[in-house]
Amino acid sequence: MLYFQMKQRLSLLLIASLGFGRGALAVEEIEFDTHIRPIFEAHCTECHGEEKQKGELRLDTPAAIRKGGDSGEPLFFAGKRDESHLYKLVSRQDPEEAMPPKEKDALSKEDVELIGRWIEQGAKMPGDGEVVTLTTDHWSFQAVAKEHRHAGVDAFLNEALADNDLKPSNRADRRTLIRRLYLVMLGLPPSPEEVTRFVNDDSPQAWGNLVDHVLASPHYGERMARHWLDITRFAESNGFETNRERPSAWRFRDYVIGSFNSDKPYDQFVKEHLAGDVLGADLGTGFLVAGPHDIVKSPDPNLTLTQRQDELADMINTTGTAFLGMTIGCARCHNHKFDPITQRDYYSMQAIFAGVKFGERAVKKEANEAGKKEVESLRVSLAAAERELEQLRSLAAKNESGLSALRPAVNARLNTESFKARSAKFVRFTIKRTNSSEPCLDELLVFASNGENVALAKAGAVATSSGDLQGYPIHQLAHINDGKLGNTWSWISNQSGKGWVQIEFAKPSQIERIEWARDRDGGFTDRLAVEYVIELSDDGKSWTAVASSDDREAFGGKPNSETFLTKLPEAEVIRARALIAESVLARSRIVELETGGKAWVANFSQPGATHRLYRGEPMARREEVPPDALEVIGSLGLAMDAPEKERRLALAGWIASADNPLTARVAVNRLWQFVFGTGIVDTPSDLGTNGTPPSHPELLDWLASDFVAHGWSMKHTLRLLLSSEAFLRSSQPNSVAARIDSDSRYLWRFPPRRLEAEAIRDGMLSVAGTLDLKMGGPGFHLFDVDRENVVHYHAKEETGPAEWRRMVYLFKIRQEQDAVFGAFDCPDGNQVIPSRSRSTTPLQALNLFNSRFTMQQAGKLAERLGDSQDRAARVYELLYSRPATAEDLVDAKSFIERHGFVSFCRAMLNTNEFLFIF
Amino acid sequence: MIDTRHLFDRRNFLSHSVNGLGGVALASLLSREGLLGDERIRESAPGKNPIRPGIDAANPHAARIPHAKPRAKQVLMIFCSGAISQVDTWDYKPELIKRHGQPMPGGDKLITFQGGQGNLMKSPWEFRPRGQSGKMVSDLLPQLGDLADEMCFLHGMTGKTNTHGPGENFMCTGFTLDGFPSAGAWTTYALGSEAEDLPAYVAIPDVRGTPQSSVNCWGPGFLPAAFQGTSFNAAKAVRNLAIPGGITGATDAATRAFLQRQNHRHLQNHPDDSQLAARIASYELAARMQLSIPEITDLSKEPDYLLRDYGADDSGNKILDLRAAYGRNCILARRLIERGVRFVQLFNGAYQTGGEGVSNWDGHKKIKEQYDIHGPVLDQPTAALLKDLKARGLLEDTLVVFCSEFGRMPTFQKGASGRDHNPSGFTAWLAGAGVKAPFSYGATDEFSYKAVEGVTTVYDFYATILHILGLDHERLSYYHNGIERRLTDVHGRVIREILDSA
Repeated sequence: MLYFQMKQRLSLLLIASLGFGRGALAVEEIEFDTHIRPIFEAHCTECHGEEKQKGELRLDTPAAIRKGGDSGEPLFFAGKRDESHLYKLVSRQDPEEAMPPKEKDALSKEDVELIGRWIEQGAKMPGDGEVVTLTTDHWSFQAVAKEHRHAGVDAFLNEALADNDLKPSNRADRRTLIRRLYLVMLGLPPSPEEVTRFVNDDSPQAWGNLVDHVLASPHYGERMARHWLDITRFAESNGFETNRERPSAWRFRDYVIGSFNSDKPYDQFVKEHLAGDVLGADLGTGFLVAGPHDIVKSPDPNLTLTQRQDELADMINTTGTAFLGMTIGCARCHNHKFDPITQRDYYSMQAIFAGVKFGERAVKKEANEAGKKEVESLRVSLAAAERELEQLRSLAAKNESGLSALRPAVNARLNTESFKARSAKFVRFTIKRTNSSEPCLDELLVFASNGENVALAKAGAVATSSGDLQGYPIHQLAHINDGKLGNTWSWISNQSGKGWVQIEFAKPSQIERIEWARDRDGGFTDRLAVEYVIELSDDGKSWTAVASSDDREAFGGKPNSETFLTKLPEAEVIRARALIAESVLARSRIVELETGGKAWVANFSQPGATHRLYRGEPMARREEVPPDALEVIGSLGLAMDAPEKERRLALAGWIASADNPLTARVAVNRLWQFVFGTGIVDTPSDLGTNGTPPSHPELLDWLASDFVAHGWSMKHTLRLLLSSEAFLRSSQPNSVAARIDSDSRYLWRFPPRRLEAEAIRDGMLSVAGTLDLKMGGPGFHLFDVDRENVVHYHAKEETGPAEWRRMVYLFKIRQEQDAVFGAFDCPDGNQVIPSRSRSTTPLQALNLFNSRFTMQQAGKLAERLGDSQDRAARVYELLYSRPATAEDLVDAKSFIERHGFVSFCRAMLNTNEFLFIF
Repeated sequence: MIDTRHLFDRRNFLSHSVNGLGGVALASLLSREGLLGDERIRESAPGKNPIRPGIDAANPHAARIPHAKPRAKQVLMIFCSGAISQVDTWDYKPELIKRHGQPMPGGDKLITFQGGQGNLMKSPWEFRPRGQSGKMVSDLLPQLGDLADEMCFLHGMTGKTNTHGPGENFMCTGFTLDGFPSAGAWTTYALGSEAEDLPAYVAIPDVRGTPQSSVNCWGPGFLPAAFQGTSFNAAKAVRNLAIPGGITGATDAATRAFLQRQNHRHLQNHPDDSQLAARIASYELAARMQLSIPEITDLSKEPDYLLRDYGADDSGNKILDLRAAYGRNCILARRLIERGVRFVQLFNGAYQTGGEGVSNWDGHKKIKEQYDIHGPVLDQPTAALLKDLKARGLLEDTLVVFCSEFGRMPTFQKGASGRDHNPSGFTAWLAGAGVKAPFSYGATDEFSYKAVEGVTTVYDFYATILHILGLDHERLSYYHNGIERRLTDVHGRVIREILDSA
């Protein structure tokens, strides 16, 4: 096994700083060569010497003794015998951990005492004081080569092909190429019109133009973000048994999409992930806390500490694998078995993240004029959507009750009161009864005819109340009109079951709609006002009621349901769902634009000391470690108590540096993998000794240096790959070449591959003409959610337009998989997935062949094509980007005649040609 | 990901050509044959290299031979969600009865999950000697107690966490964290299945819902999705199994035939592409499953006496209804084992709903009241299942595993009449192929609080189960995100003391 020359600076420092303690009292000066080395040679070096190194420990040279074994535990702390591992072992304090292992081989008392005194006297050895560093000769730790034998992707590839007697395949035809490019870079098939245009484009720049067009498409960011979200183990619930949702976690997803689309320099992108709060990109730090989080804390302090250690391990692992391609997490319990990463490195890395906590918080807003305009137009469309929804609610009420037209019962998430506009300067919301405890309102929104919320404190409105619950910073009167929604920004009355809150506007306004809720985040359903009245006033003295619970259905205990939907005809249900989805999106976007809004991003506080933990056990604290990066690459030079922000900023700068040998290599290797299906290193999160060496090491280095030289532009590097001859090659097999290189790692052909779950779903919607390409905002749900102390998810039986967005916008629940596409190796967000498995299973076949989703989209595809003569041929063009062959058409026509066009569409959506990139 | 490609395409021709030769020979071929270079020779344990199963892309569930001669070929795991109390079932402690009502020595310093520490409480159910062996089992599970001679008890089980989610993760996947492959996924990854037209690995959730760690309990983690458990029970079919509404059987078959013709036309341009061939094959297998799964969940042809034995024929109150539903799941489990399904995981108890201990074994507050429901629901059907398996000779090749995420305290919680969580010592039992019975291994202290003898970690537990299946837990590994991952992490000792001498 390759190993590294490791020399510790630790013991040297300790000797200097700790002095000689009890050793000064010793009569005799213990000499290493005279007294200690013979003991080791007699009792230890048989297992810990030149021949054998049990536990990776050698005791035959001073350097090796200073280094210690793979436990990461230094053998001694100079001057402190009782704290020294070596002394504990040889004095056999713990029979489970005694050395030599067999009782009969135990050291004599005299020898043990000699070792003890030697440690007390400073454990002096020859060579003390030499400055030594950790080194390795593993390829990925060496500086990226600056001199290159070739320039350009093909030059390197062609050389390797020739060396291996491989003949590159011919170019693929244009239809195959445009389809390949779209599926690889956008995750969507090209339209038949786009195909025709490209096929007929005679310009010599046709391909280059198409590549530019694709890289400029906003769907590029969506596609790349899906890869990145796998690598950053992103999901929108906590995981574990409670698995509560994180309603604002999507903002990190949008941040990632936006970053790819704007071709944010990769070094900046990385820095923002680790220290975005300092760099004006708060949302980037969503990365740190995107992983699972166990909120059920064990009361056992040992287990609670373990939980915290697990959280930090997730951040270290993900940072290490995502950016550095290093499994730093392996050094949690002992020195890394394969790579030059010590346990001390691991805990130094932990000290960097030690102040990071999970949770939702306000983020800084991006102020701009466009934002203001967007808010205005959102308000107008929101008001229209609400009016229409209100009509649908009344319709539902009529359907149910025949003559009486009661409005639906209140719910915890949102209630709207619409009435004929009238002028007022005051509004008062009086609660008469709740479903439990003191009433809670998260925000009172009062809309004037122009769509403006006049209740906002920052618009000059003033809130008063009958009395406020004391002692909870998250529940305050000021929260009733602060523009921030959800339980953490809410007001609670000080009286059980009742209370009132009143808002005086800056000036009299025409009021026509009021919205209120218990918790717009949907987390809480208690403390809900079930009997209430809302009154307006010009002077704060005489009041007119404009809305109340009197004309609502009685509250039936279902505080979160949109029960009215079940009472509407089918067409209206679809419309209502779409309106609800639209209004949720609009609302959250308004909050985001106006206040910066809330997001599930990292929270920070100054941490206490971080200690190395023996065997990774939280109770086995050892020496304090400073925040630092991997020693083998270099030190951050931070003090033990460095400010929290400085720690992350320093690490970010160290990773996102042209001098870091790993970062750029890891990044370009991932880009290569996204394009060709497999990286130049096919273990993309492990460029260490245990990973696979690169298939084209010089190419990797050329790409990495070119990437940095071009400002870490991902689009630049992608353009190189997409413009290469290798990308343009046919994917047709060739039995001669396959015998030499069956996977086409040398790219003699373009290697075909099955699309991922998301691209299959998106593609089906796209060809069926049902795909909603709206970008960003809260995700759509594929589960009906049942919120108790723990949250239960029940897969929706039916989806509609609200769920027909690109799957990157799926509200990603940990553990729970989409009922149709989960089986296609979709990650569940608990683990970093550097590359997807591509398995083939009968369950996939059942889902894709029989699901309601497929039948529905087959129906939509059929509908889209109507009764036209050439509808079968059109299906081939839409799904395969090619015309049907004569044979195809004969078969299709006779099938359609007997079994109908929808069944034909169902079959076609299941075919290999539709589901693979060729 | 290199290993996945190894599994699913490149080696396809190999697995065809050596069909029947089996996994070991194939695995050795695989480790030599390398892409451009070789697959790195990695270690899965000190001095040991992984044995990669030779998986046929077109049929990833084909049976594969194990690393060594197996003692059992199939596993039936009965999992009691919510943490069934060992104190009230299998772990008889006379000292606890003697000191009933007294404080537990040192108990005030103990850490509990939920409530303060109350006094020692003997079980509300009497213990009596059962079977030839005279093993003491409580009256909570009298019919299972009568089968004590068939059981190999592990009384010194220990866990690593005292919360349910991580606990169920740990017991099902060997890791407290989410996202790791379940034991059943590991097993089917290694061994495939003998059941040609059925899923290789079936999870049977309780009729009341999924367990507390939900699909983690049978998830594939980072293994290919092919190895996840397929979940269905006697009441709820596999999703997307039925022919879509409004489509006749004839049209459905014709549609599949058209699909395959289209695929074959395409395949002519891509001959020898195993990924494409595998997808074509998967539709054929899916079609066979559409017949075989409804057939296996249809209990209407089971004789009346058998339904009666399992308690599956009776209904009318809450206990009987639940017992009948669980009994039907037990019958389903037997039928799956009979058909050669490699790993069957049968759940008793669901996620928490309606308060603690209502829907599962989490008896914090009112253990007598709650277990008086859960006990009868579990007892008769599970006993009938064991007897039925034995009568049909299925225990010859099947290892039955009874377990829970952790155990419960010998004390009651302060101010409550139930027991708090206890991962320090609890009981699991094995039965059937490969293990000694009647036999008891390991022990807790005098109160059933802490394992003191034959302490068995979950790693030891799975090292032993894999060993019984003929698998070396140190060589069954999968390279993921830079690490050779194992069901037993970097731990585990095969408990040879409990292995049948055969």
